[in-house]
Amino acid sequence: MTDLKRLGLAIMLHTAWLKRAGIAGILAIVATGCSDNSSSFSISDRTSSLIPEAQSGVADTPGVVDLLEEKFGNPQQLKAWTKLPVQWGGAAASVEVFAADAEGAKVRFTVADGQEFPAKATFVNVVTGSGAGKTLGLSSWDAATGEAVLTGLDGVVLASGDTCSIDGGAVIRSGRVLYMRHCSHCHGTAGDGNGPTAQYLYPRPRDYRHGVFKFTSTNDMSKVSREDLLRVLRYGIPGTYMPSFLLMKDEELTAIVEYVRLLSMRGEFERKLVNELVSDYSADAVESRLKDEQRADIVAELGEFLSEDLPGVVDGIGGELEESWVAADTEEARIIPSVPRVPDSEESRRRGRELYLSKTLNCADCHGIDGAGNGPQTMVYEKNPVTNVPYNEPGLHDVWDNLNQPRNLHTGIFRGGRRPIDLFCRIHAGIKGSRMPSFKNTPHEDIWHIVNYVLSIPFEPEPGATGLAAGPIAAPLVGATPAAGE
Amino acid sequence: MKKFWALFFWFWPLVALYVCLIAPGRNWWFPSKPLSTLGHQIDGLFYLILIIVTVTFVGTEFALGYALWKSAVSEPGKKAWFSHGSHRLEIVWTIVPAFVLVFISFYQLDVLADIRVLSRFPESVKEAPVAEVMARQFEWRIRYPKPGTELMTSPQPGDLYFVNEVHVPATVPTMINLRTQDVQHAFFVPRLRVKQDAVPGLIIQVWFEIEEAGDYELLCAELCGWGHYKMKARIVAESPEGVSAYLTRLEREQNEDGVQEAETASVK
Repeated sequence: MTDLKRLGLAIMLHTAWLKRAGIAGILAIVATGCSDNSSSFSISDRTSSLIPEAQSGVADTPGVVDLLEEKFGNPQQLKAWTKLPVQWGGAAASVEVFAADAEGAKVRFTVADGQEFPAKATFVNVVTGSGAGKTLGLSSWDAATGEAVLTGLDGVVLASGDTCSIDGGAVIRSGRVLYMRHCSHCHGTAGDGNGPTAQYLYPRPRDYRHGVFKFTSTNDMSKVSREDLLRVLRYGIPGTYMPSFLLMKDEELTAIVEYVRLLSMRGEFERKLVNELVSDYSADAVESRLKDEQRADIVAELGEFLSEDLPGVVDGIGGELEESWVAADTEEARIIPSVPRVPDSEESRRRGRELYLSKTLNCADCHGIDGAGNGPQTMVYEKNPVTNVPYNEPGLHDVWDNLNQPRNLHTGIFRGGRRPIDLFCRIHAGIKGSRMPSFKNTPHEDIWHIVNYVLSIPFEPEPGATGLAAGPIAAPLVGATPAAGE
Repeated sequence: MKKFWALFFWFWPLVALYVCLIAPGRNWWFPSKPLSTLGHQIDGLFYLILIIVTVTFVGTEFALGYALWKSAVSEPGKKAWFSHGSHRLEIVWTIVPAFVLVFISFYQLDVLADIRVLSRFPESVKEAPVAEVMARQFEWRIRYPKPGTELMTSPQPGDLYFVNEVHVPATVPTMINLRTQDVQHAFFVPRLRVKQDAVPGLIIQVWFEIEEAGDYELLCAELCGWGHYKMKARIVAESPEGVSAYLTRLEREQNEDGVQEAETASVK
């Protein structure tokens, strides 16, 4: 056999083998599906820095990961920790039982005040009564009268007056689907800002797990309000990769907002829980403790902590989350200037410029003398406040450890919105998570002067042209409310 | 069996002929009837080309069927006519399509000029773009001039901004300035038959006259990155009064200082 023939035979055999392998592969895909489609909420780096016992528990006592699963579930099977201020969806209703046997029960629901029956519903969750916590099937659902037949009783005895949640979690489930479709490729399944496309973006997508959002209309110590999140979804964040989702329906946007809030609370819960454990039970801490202690003793101590102290800690964190997230949507949290905007005028801008350069506010320290975002702070080497290790590059860093460039005010791009009230909030509450501090103690009138100055910066004929003393007009006036007499 | 293939190749041109005849009436090729004045001209060009390709397709398929039929019914042993290398045939099938193509390219010049050449734009829009539509990955950012002023190429104090929604007057010629902040995008409004690339560094004037008030879908038609599919916006065509009312509202919203709104909210 010549070499050429041998080669030909080899190729033939090879292609035959390929064909067979290809067919087998296709059959395998048809039979089993392309891959495992289930997704999970990733745990944070800090959680994985704990020793395995702290993550997954000692004996029967749950660890951090188990608690996360217990309280929040996973993307396939979400769980509702009803303590949290999330609009889960579905209707709360009390039940009136007409007839019941082992197979099913004929019932009528009466919905709580101000709620409506969901048009389509296939299940109910029993909230109070002897069957509390059970899920029952719903057949022949009549949304007009609330009459239905409950199935899958499986030993649950329902009594008239028990309360149920019909189609519970409808909002959060639809929020999850929309989030996975539109948001997760950047923000990640768990909201960790680390989806597949995240590595290509600058600035990086928000990591919700700190529970911190930059652009809010709430006070410096408050969380983000639902309205703020909606605004960001609708209008996007100019100057970043966050696009506008204006064309989505309102109910879709509100469902996404609820889901994002849930992910934020999950992340915060994880953080706070780990905070309780990290100093004593991180892998590093345990290693250094092993000098004077036995590992078995440390684990026993951890087991005791998990079983005796942690339930209280979990309740405490739940309470904190509830309180802070509820507070964000109240009127008290919202920033309302005590005086209307000072009309834009040459004088107001000069005053703004004066404040901008003043020692007390010291805007120029970061934003630069002329507002180009190049103040001396951008040259400083900072230390990571958590690990105490200096960062590799000079400049300010935010709580997400990203380089935090002070805004160049000449671009005319205002990420948090260009309305005067938006800029007022940025100055009043600062930009949360970033190094832009809150200037809430500055008189509101002064903040307005700075707003007027900042709005005029993009139109200055040359950087820093706004003088402190009376002189020729630097830039045309901005806004619809020119000062009287101009 | 030989006859079957001849009939087979005669059957399909009949189907094609039928489809092409009824398609325009049923509007199969387009999402809707054209809703801009230019749209009618563009559809006219499309249907002209549809006629040309239908005639060509039906003709060549019938010729193919004829050749098959002829050989199917010919006497066994009869020699075929050897046409390979025929100069005359080659000249014919080069000149005829070339002529058709040259005809199309001249015939469409008028429409192309109406769409693209600034001097042919309607007088009323030439100097007066209503808005700047800035494409960026992955959204459309809109800038209107402050009501009562003209749109300038660089942002001006008092300009009004919005995203993913453009309000334009219906039933009058309208022009926008199309730009891009990053890569190439394309401004595509299927129902208006408007499609124009946005090219980095250029300001491209796009004009159209929308015939019916309503919402129109604006899409990006140039693969611009991983989020290309997200670049969807809405064009709202309404009466000129509606547009100016909208701009007044937008101006008020853009100048909100949070005090007025809080007061009106507490009154409610």
